[in-house]
This record gives sequence, structure tokens and C-alpha cells, in this order.
Amino acid sequence: MQTQKCKHQWEMVNTNPGFILTEACHKCSQVSTYFSREDNPPFEEYRDGEHFWNVMASAQSVRFDLKCKLCNTLVTFDELSSLLLCTGCKKDCDVYRLMEKYSGKRIWFYVAFGFKPYADKLMLSDEKIKILEDYYNQRRDSTNSSIKIVSFEMIDDPDSCAGEFIIDSSMLLLAPPEKK
Amino acid sequence: MKLNEIIEKLSLKVLTNLEDKDITGVYISDMLSDVMSKAGAGNIWVTIQSHKNIIAAANLIDIAAIIISQGTDIPEETIELANRYNVVLLGSDDSTFVLGGKLYQIGIA
Ligand SMILES: [Zn+2]
Ligand SMILES: [Zn+2]
Repeated sequence: MQTQKCKHQWEMVNTNPGFILTEACHKCSQVSTYFSREDNPPFEEYRDGEHFWNVMASAQSVRFDLKCKLCNTLVTFDELSSLLLCTGCKKDCDVYRLMEKYSGKRIWFYVAFGFKPYADKLMLSDEKIKILEDYYNQRRDSTNSSIKIVSFEMIDDPDSCAGEFIIDSSMLLLAPPEKK
Repeated sequence: MKLNEIIEKLSLKVLTNLEDKDITGVYISDMLSDVMSKAGAGNIWVTIQSHKNIIAAANLIDIAAIIISQGTDIPEETIELANRYNVVLLGSDDSTFVLGGKLYQIGIA
């Protein structure tokens, strides 16, 4: 996938608006999130093997891939659910510790989240996270500040993170958001 | 055009610390997912959204300033977060439509 010599210049391609649906199983309380292009999520409970899923929330979002303008390398980002701005909500969080190490350098930390249940779904590789970080830094005017993107797997309890998700949840909320 | 000049011409309320910057264009949307995929660094972003997660989107792509239109109430926590991440927040009683027209008129759209 990597052409070693190319200094990739990323651009966003294949952007597709859609929805991130959050479902919960009333039997086992498992929570599942996924991306859907449809704006008519299944409002009725439905069965999938052992689980009985109910839609809890729907947020508008966008899926995209990144492509290098120079060598045409295409990188897909199907594993990314959303990006979160780290606000340093917990002092004992590894993301916060890393951010502290860089403090004063105007580097803002973002966290790339995958889809739930985290244990069952494919997560973004470190290589892809780095590509996403490069893309946004190329798009910014990075002369006096830059961003760093890390994996949510650095957070002990990602569900309790109180950072700011870049997600349009207020637009089409079907149920109160999960407690932070 | 410089941000300060735009603030003066459009009589915008400055809600945060202010850093004068070059403005590269205007992006109008109420969707954070639009902003993170399409807006450009140095753009002015016009929106009616005032939830603090607008700061997360603006900071990601280095938006020069956010103008919150229509006299929308802006929560204190949004202003606090903006100051923490050096995002300039501006307020206006004009609608997004009128603001778009005014920005076009002064020649930056
Ligand atoms: Zn390349
Ligand atoms: Zn279940």
C-alpha cells in the first residue's frame, strides 16, 4: 500500500453522508454502533441471532476515504466512527498524559473512535491513524499549530470520556444521549 | 482580508480572545460533518449551532473564526472551550442568509 518514496498529499474522496446508528440489545445490554447510508433506520426491534436490537440514537455523519494526489494510493476509513477533541477530562488518562508532554507546543489532540462493540469490530490501524493526522495537518495552516490523532484504545474506559465528539447528534436525536 | 476588518464592517460581537488573521473564504453549514470534510483552513464558518462541539470541528481544520448567527444564545462552556483552543467566536443578530450576503458584498465569499 505504501509507496515509500512518495510524500503523500492526501485529499478526501468518496465522501458519503449518512448516519451513525446506536443500537442496544435489551437482552444482554450490549451496545452496537454502525454507519448507515439510509435515513430510515429500523425503528422496530429486530432480532439478530441472540440479540434483540433497538435503535437508541442516530447522528448524521460522513464516511470518506483518503487518496494521495501524487501516487493515487487509496486508504479507506470504514473503521472510523468519529473523531473526538481531547479536553483532558481525566488526569490519569494516557491521552491526557501525552498531551501534557506536548503542552505549550500548540498541538491539539484528537482521538479516533471505532464502532461498538469494540472487541468485535475492526479498529483503525496505527498506520491509518497517522495518515488521517497527516491529512488534517496538510489541510490546516500548520505554521503555528498542529493536531495529533491517537487511537481511543489509549483510553481505559472510552465510554466515560467527556471530550467533544465531532458528530451531528443534535440534528436527529431519537433518544437521550448516553450519559457521559 | 483581515478578520478585524470583517468584524468592524459587519459589526460582529467578539465573544472570545481575538487574534487577527487572514481570511481565506467563508463556509456556511450547520453540520459538523460538512465542516470536517469540506471547509478550508482560514475560513470563516457561519452557523446557528452553538453547542461546544463546534469548537472540536473548527479547531480540527483551523477555521479562522466562527460566526454564530441569528442572535443564538451561546453557552458559557462553548466560549470557555473556544478560548482554550484559540478559536475565535463571533456573534451576530443577522440570519445566516443575511450574513452570507454581507460577507459576499464586502468581497470575501
Ligand atoms: Zn503518495
Ligand atoms: Zn444481546
